[in-house]
Amino acid sequence: MAEVRLESVTRRFGDAVAVDHVDLVIADGEFVVLLGPTGAGKTTTLRLIAGLEKPDGGRIVIGGEDVSDCAPSERDVAFVFQQYSLYPHLTVFENLAFPLKSPARRMPKDEIAARVNKVAAMVRIDHKLANRSTALSGGEMQRVAIGRALVRDPSIFLMDEPLSSLDAKLRAELRVELKRIQNEIGATLLYVTHDQVEAMTMADRIGILAEGKLLQIGTPREIYTDPVNLHVAARLGHPHINLLKPGLLPCESVPGGARTIGARTEHLEIRPSAKNDANARVDWIEHLGDQNHLHISSEGEKIITLADPYAGINPGDAISLSLKNPLFFDENGHRIT
Amino acid sequence: MNERFSTTLEGTADAAARSTPPAVARRLRGLSDRAIAWIFISPTIILLLAINIFPLCWAIYLSFTNYRANRPNSEVEGVGLRNFERVLTDGDTWLAMQATAHFVFWTIVLQTLIGFTLAYLIDRKFRGHAFWTTVILIPMMLSPAVVGNFWRFLYQPQIGLFNYIVSFFTGVEPSSFQMLGDVTLAPWAIIIVDTWMWTPYVMLICLAGLRSIPDYIYEAAEVDRASPWRQFWSITIPMALPFIMLAVLFRGIENFKMFDMVVLLTGGGPGSTTELASITLKREAFESWRTGRASAFAIILFVAVFGLANIYVKALNRVKQR
Repeated sequence: MAEVRLESVTRRFGDAVAVDHVDLVIADGEFVVLLGPTGAGKTTTLRLIAGLEKPDGGRIVIGGEDVSDCAPSERDVAFVFQQYSLYPHLTVFENLAFPLKSPARRMPKDEIAARVNKVAAMVRIDHKLANRSTALSGGEMQRVAIGRALVRDPSIFLMDEPLSSLDAKLRAELRVELKRIQNEIGATLLYVTHDQVEAMTMADRIGILAEGKLLQIGTPREIYTDPVNLHVAARLGHPHINLLKPGLLPCESVPGGARTIGARTEHLEIRPSAKNDANARVDWIEHLGDQNHLHISSEGEKIITLADPYAGINPGDAISLSLKNPLFFDENGHRIT
Repeated sequence: MNERFSTTLEGTADAAARSTPPAVARRLRGLSDRAIAWIFISPTIILLLAINIFPLCWAIYLSFTNYRANRPNSEVEGVGLRNFERVLTDGDTWLAMQATAHFVFWTIVLQTLIGFTLAYLIDRKFRGHAFWTTVILIPMMLSPAVVGNFWRFLYQPQIGLFNYIVSFFTGVEPSSFQMLGDVTLAPWAIIIVDTWMWTPYVMLICLAGLRSIPDYIYEAAEVDRASPWRQFWSITIPMALPFIMLAVLFRGIENFKMFDMVVLLTGGGPGSTTELASITLKREAFESWRTGRASAFAIILFVAVFGLANIYVKALNRVKQR
């Protein structure tokens, strides 16, 4: 494992700038998640570190060594692709052993078998070692793909939305396992996703990417409570953050220059009210079991928030809504603190 | 048929009948699903019976008789297995089979090697690769008759381009050898022409195989530190193998029954060095007019090709399932 450092790395495809002067340091043993919408440059960043793309500018340093011009095989990185990318004509065992059989390693057969068995147990696929990789379910295939990265003991693991093609239950399961494995072996890991739950639950630090730029990097808590701008604020939180005009709802102190107020569930106070001081109305309620999504309208603005299902609020109720320490943004979308 | 399945089918037919106009519905309702199915496939079945199955059965019948097609009115007698016995014990049959085996083996080897290499090079997607693909495919689009006549000129010892090119590279006198007239060269002459014509076809199938291997597999291998050599042997070849095998099968079957091009090039000669099985067969049937014996030979060939192809397809399926 090693520290990985990106220094002002840029990559263009024709006129489009996929990665725009990104500076990023991933400390030894750290789990960093890059979060962003499609086309934000997440995958390109990973591919640049792996050497599958060459940067147009900047430096990539792995373990203190500048690898910007090195081929993928010279970089000692492991990559888990979004597609399963297993070798379809090989068995699970052969797939896991493939990286170890590199002539550069000269690893004896029994050691290969020992490592494969250990990793197979770690990703819980040891009962299917003799199966053809095409005869596995999606979840099993992705375990093998992750396992094939783990046998390597590389400087850094690069994972490109490895769980995105799995169903929700499996995704939740593998998420926990991946975090457990990372803790176990103290791996340096850069993980790309557009799923905020994955980012929030697994990351030591989250980097938010948009249009090739790294907007903010910090712990999940920091990114959630202290976003630098509107875009970052909108990436996290469910339901989606409500963006309101100042003055729509009562608020203690609105700083000057605030053009937009960001209000998450915890920034909204709901009180059932008599008709005379009500400023909002509940349109309808989505019941999710443990919680309710309230769809509220206030002077034509739509607001979505969570509520306790036992709070006794019904569709059509008039309520009084107020803001409590919300987020303020200026005309350019920058946060005002 | 499974009971549940058939009930579903009847249900569908009922629904269809209900939604069709009354007169048609009344007529259709009288027919069972099976009858309707037969009505739909009968044109194909009738054509197949008339054009394929009947002649095959008729040839099987003729192979047990002394029938001669040039004497239609003479009496036909059953001769038992004598035709088969004669064909199998005839030295000429085995010479023809040897010539065919030589031709099939070497055309397949050369076409597969050259075809795959060309496909591998074209797959690199260099500038103008589409143009070169089309250029390479041209021989395949020609008629075998054209190719045969065309190569007769190329092989012409005095004026032929082929002899001059060989002469240019080796220094031997162009008119000192005859590709089509020499007993040792003629079998290779027909192999060269067939390879020239059909390598593009093998290339096309191999190219489809190579294109079916996704890029990310190579990227994964590259990150896994596999050398280009190892990527070729452990990814490219195994994943393209079903396609290569398919190309070999097609070319094998085609060349086993090769006739037109070789007749135009050498007519089976010199002597009978390039007389392939199908040429012998044609002589037997339409020059010697021993129809019964020719039928027996045809059936022996059919069983041989069919049997070999079946074994091969089993192997192919096993490779595909990996």
